[in-house]
Amino acid sequence: MTAHHTHDHEMLDCEAVMQQLWDYLDEELSAERMTAIRDHLAVCARCYPQYEFERAFLTALDQAQQPHSDPGRLRARVASALRAEGMVDV
Amino acid sequence: MTDDSAAKRERDRHFQQEAMRCLPDVARFALSLTRDESDADDLVQDTYLRAYRAWHQFEPGSECRAWLFTICRNQFLNSRVRAEREVALDAPELEARQAAVVHDSVRNGPLEDTFLRVDLAPAIQRALAALPEVLRTAVILVDLQDLKYDDAARILGVPVGTVRSRLFRGRRLLQESLLVHAQDAGFSTPPSDASRGSDR
Repeated sequence: MTAHHTHDHEMLDCEAVMQQLWDYLDEELSAERMTAIRDHLAVCARCYPQYEFERAFLTALDQAQQPHSDPGRLRARVASALRAEGMVDV
Repeated sequence: MTDDSAAKRERDRHFQQEAMRCLPDVARFALSLTRDESDADDLVQDTYLRAYRAWHQFEPGSECRAWLFTICRNQFLNSRVRAEREVALDAPELEARQAAVVHDSVRNGPLEDTFLRVDLAPAIQRALAALPEVLRTAVILVDLQDLKYDDAARILGVPVGTVRSRLFRGRRLLQESLLVHAQDAGFSTPPSDASRGSDR
């Protein structure tokens, strides 16, 4: 890879980026490491496709959630059970 | 109004303010665990009744949603015989290599586009349901409920490193399932012998 680095931060190789890719996508790294990986991905033809793949996978996973068919009915049912338990509406 | 009734009224007000606003998230979490809406509704109701009874144990200012998820998951596990064996977890380095194998197997195919173009929700839900519970719950908490690793670790009662391992392994198994789904649907080609190997 070639890169013009304007920041004074660590350089990461592809193996290090791949090992931390999920942590990067989950934003579980330090700000410095997030920046270093973002800069690496911006210029690396090998790592960027895998990053795109994993990101597309997480997006698809997030969008696959099964919605509740009637959330209003569930809320009413829970509220009714709580009132029977002694909760007062305030 | 007596001091006791005023205190109870304040307690109930606090419960309704904090806990009830989390109901949509708890409902989604319960549905992810049970995969059956009727069972999920029972689980949500049980969760809220237990939370109400134990509300004095909730620490004001802490994450109410995470507290409710903990109760919900414990209820879910208690309601079932734990038939699933614990899953042996691989080393992080091996996880990274195996993830790369999955990616390599599809990088020349259109699965990445398939994620974006095709409604994979039914296939993902099936694949999620097939995961061992410990992996499934980690994926649900982080990927579907957007919790940070340390919040998920508190709910599961395990170290953050264990959440990370379960999460990565769960995602890899999901990707493998979706790869098979894509191949069956004609969207991708089977992995080559070279990329199938584990000695990369």
